[in-house]
Amino acid sequence: MSHLSRREYLKRLAALAGLGSAAPFALNLAGLGAASAQSAPDYRAIVCLFMFGGNDHNNMIIPYDQAAYDAYAAARSGNRTAGGIAYDRSQLTATKFSPATAQSSSAEFAFCPPMAPLQALFTAGKLAILPNIGPLIAPTNRTSYLANSVALPPKLFSHNDQQAVWQSYAAEGGKAGWGGRMGDLLASSNSSTVFTAISASSNAVFLAGQNIFQYQIGTNGATPVTAVNSSPFGLSGAAGTAARTALSQLVTDSVAAGTLYMESDHADLVKRSIDASGTVSSALATVPTSTAGISLPTALANNSLALQLQVVARLIASRSSLGAKRQVFFVSIGGFDTHDNEITTLEDNANTGALGLHSQVARSMDYFYSAMGSLGLQNNVTLFTASDFGRTLTSNGDGSDHGWGAHHFVLGGAVKGGDMYGTMPAVRLHTTANPNLADAGSGRFIPTTSVDSLAVTLGRWFGVSSADFSLIAPNIANFNNDLGFLA
Amino acid sequence: MVRFYKWWGVVTVLLLSACGGGGGGGGGGSSSTTTTTTVSGCTFTATAEVDASDNNTHPTDAEAARFLQQASFGPSRASIDALKKGSALTWITRQFEQPRASHLSCVDQEAARLASIGTATIDQSHFLQSWWGQALTGRDQLRQRVAFALSQILVVSFNGDLGSDIRGVSYYYDLLEKNAFGNYRDLLEDVTLSPAMGVYLSHLRNRKEDTASGRTPDENYAREIMQLFSIGLYQLNNDGSLKLSGGKPIDTYSNSDISGLAKVFTGYSYGGADTADARFWGNVKDANYNVMPMQGYPQFHSISAKQFLGVTIPAQSAATAASMASDLKTALDTIFNHANVGPFIGKQLIQRLVKSNPSAAYVDRVATAFNTGVTALAPGLGTGKRGDMRATIAAILLDPEARPATLTAGEGKIVEPVIRLANWARAFNVVSNSGAYKVGNTDSASGSLNQTPMRASSVFNFYRPGYVPSNSRVASNSLVAPEMQLASETSVAGYINVMQGIVQNGVGTSTAGVRDVQPNYSSEIALASDSAALLNRIDVLLTRGAMKALTRTSIKTAVDAVSIPTGSTSSASSAAAVALKQRVWLAVFLTMASPDYLVQK
Repeated sequence: MSHLSRREYLKRLAALAGLGSAAPFALNLAGLGAASAQSAPDYRAIVCLFMFGGNDHNNMIIPYDQAAYDAYAAARSGNRTAGGIAYDRSQLTATKFSPATAQSSSAEFAFCPPMAPLQALFTAGKLAILPNIGPLIAPTNRTSYLANSVALPPKLFSHNDQQAVWQSYAAEGGKAGWGGRMGDLLASSNSSTVFTAISASSNAVFLAGQNIFQYQIGTNGATPVTAVNSSPFGLSGAAGTAARTALSQLVTDSVAAGTLYMESDHADLVKRSIDASGTVSSALATVPTSTAGISLPTALANNSLALQLQVVARLIASRSSLGAKRQVFFVSIGGFDTHDNEITTLEDNANTGALGLHSQVARSMDYFYSAMGSLGLQNNVTLFTASDFGRTLTSNGDGSDHGWGAHHFVLGGAVKGGDMYGTMPAVRLHTTANPNLADAGSGRFIPTTSVDSLAVTLGRWFGVSSADFSLIAPNIANFNNDLGFLA
Repeated sequence: MVRFYKWWGVVTVLLLSACGGGGGGGGGGSSSTTTTTTVSGCTFTATAEVDASDNNTHPTDAEAARFLQQASFGPSRASIDALKKGSALTWITRQFEQPRASHLSCVDQEAARLASIGTATIDQSHFLQSWWGQALTGRDQLRQRVAFALSQILVVSFNGDLGSDIRGVSYYYDLLEKNAFGNYRDLLEDVTLSPAMGVYLSHLRNRKEDTASGRTPDENYAREIMQLFSIGLYQLNNDGSLKLSGGKPIDTYSNSDISGLAKVFTGYSYGGADTADARFWGNVKDANYNVMPMQGYPQFHSISAKQFLGVTIPAQSAATAASMASDLKTALDTIFNHANVGPFIGKQLIQRLVKSNPSAAYVDRVATAFNTGVTALAPGLGTGKRGDMRATIAAILLDPEARPATLTAGEGKIVEPVIRLANWARAFNVVSNSGAYKVGNTDSASGSLNQTPMRASSVFNFYRPGYVPSNSRVASNSLVAPEMQLASETSVAGYINVMQGIVQNGVGTSTAGVRDVQPNYSSEIALASDSAALLNRIDVLLTRGAMKALTRTSIKTAVDAVSIPTGSTSSASSAAAVALKQRVWLAVFLTMASPDYLVQK
């Protein structure tokens, strides 16, 4: 089941329709041959960069107008000088900007200083900002939230669940994510479906499809099973052959399949691993890590996120050998649950020079965009950021707590950068005297843009037809289906 | 008057008091090998297994192995033989009596030893020595196994701010072991006040709200103690199923419950001689600050009204040590007495020890044992108090569903990688050349196990109890497979590769080219010329007597292909010795790569 040819894949889809499955998704897939799955003429890839733990977006894109800045600082128990967690305004002067489309909440904003590399990409028109985006079922504000008069995503504010909701619209245990669903719809563009959805991080429900499997790869490439090709324990001749044969039978053949679901599922995974490792290894061998444009800058040489993006870049460079025209990738970085030590976690250490998380993200994205440029593919690859949730605007002393909506980025040559797409809420707390309909309490912002809108905007560019939008964004009927950041 | 249900010694009719504690006798002379534990400090040697002798029906090899896979770090020939003299009930009863060793004491001795020979300090590897030493050689196997399960429910991790806090994490693990056979309420309190948890979930130095600056209490611990350590997100029936209202699940708490509870967890910092600000901030620290409970600093504790889970602690005029203790008691009592705790924690303990998908009825029985503190499966073992761990553990391990006679396709659970290594080590009687079990970090997915004890990536553990591998048979049958979250194209290959090396060369830090932890295959080598006999033995030790015929044929064919040279010359006999070893390596390696082994059932 691992190496599906295009023909086999379409056959399987047809068979699925015959099953008359109750799942609307499966049924709808039957029509995809006519909709999304036309042969793609060019290469396109989407990369999800996930910040595990809940990124504090409030200290990432910051209001700069004096009045708006003052409200931000007040809500965060003051600036550094005052012992709060807000940036000092003077720290932001070098990275301030005005979005091309004016926002009502503030005319000027600033990137946090560690993200200066992203400001350069923003100015160059390659990076766009999606303010206050997050999971929603239908448009929601403070009034409808508190009155409980609108359907809400499940298990708000819970890490594991909101990670899953962002990726799959379902809480923990969700079975298919919107990256995987896009892969389902477009995998027939690829000569092998195996390399359609690839995680350089851990298992990500974002990449789980209904038909395709996510393929997980280490930052050094594929890991082959040694004893399949090379006889173990010093055995040689017939004994060596017998040992290798037995191992192959046990881990991949019907011998392995067993009678229990878990035995069979595990055996399938081992088989996928062994089947793909040879192809991946030979493909990546042609793009060593030292390749000009692909090699990592010194400051990122041992950085986990950058290493993940590097193997993604190498896979993209090898797209022909992998037979891929449409790919979805997942990379991640952890440590964002900044209930405490927020400043030292997110920002660089002035004494040691150690990079904080925001620098790591910005520099890795900068590296990746430039690596795509070196392949001449900057217009073919679009990266977006995501996270469990945003964080409270209020300070708990040296950090912030679980929120909901958050600001995020999209990056790529196809992105109409230099602008914000969506509505930046007033960055201040709700009070009776001065209401803020985006504040669910403690400055947990209720999203003003839904994840559905992001999925469809990316999906349209990727080749998903409008008939299939609801498959990658179940609530899209309630929201804008084109945020406009892709041409 | 007394009838036993199956070999595990479960009574279906009330047992007379005399036998309840498994009062010895019988079983051929009662050679009760009451060897006192030789675990001292950080040098570990294997000890005699706990004798389970009794007059109950005795298990077969396979039955004993199947039980020991669930209740210990894996069967060995000796532990199977010890259990076969009696029953699971007696084994569990005796296990409850076993003394425990201290990880903190171990790492402290290592620290003292290192200090005496130079400037080296302890690091995570020293905790791991203690962990592996106890897991592989400790007589208190059940306590060890349950503590490991608890460490995956009430998670702290070296991965993060505790990376250098070797003493703090050792102390924390000792708390898990101390309470493993105690009461869950005590466990919750010990965990709440442990400095390691205070650091990990940031309620250490959490301050009361400040209206002037708008500062609010840190909500981290308030949220996770409810979501992960006690009640979960949705109201549950006693059988673990969701309570519904209008077809929808019912939240157990709202954000305002969290904000209210967060105030209770304000004002705590390291323990010590006084409660001055300087000690709260850590500018003054007791030498043992990280291995004693946190204490209250009333000046930092919220005095406003605290509402959570339907309880209100009224506003106070001032905080005192007594009011802080009272607030904490109210909070922990309220959480602990929530009807969700039994099914929520009970089901997860079943998943950690026995199977991924217990039936609702099984969860119900275990939750009832938790709620009532007794189980009819082991009368006399529980205290009759809610939260009794002994009754809960006995109810989990002695339930008919724990080891059903026939298997449905959804049965079983993936053996997690750390347990695989422990299974191998115990099955083949490993010895640590240094006595310190220097196994070390096993994090790497491509080159090791993709799992190291106490190094989960977050408070959400290595895997989630509700994890569903996408696009799988497990998924299409609406089941879960938590341990599959660690399985990827990379890690399954990494496991097979690393086991190939371990099976042949042992595991751990090398000294003069020899790995520290070495297997003893002498019993297997003695059988290796007869591949059927060899596989019979390995089948019991690794696949709990359930190796499928196809699997056996496949392995046997490979083993038989290794010919054993004959002849009396010394070169022929040494070649024969090599061949016998190769046969054993191959049989063990292939078995451990097979799904028969990887799924326990």
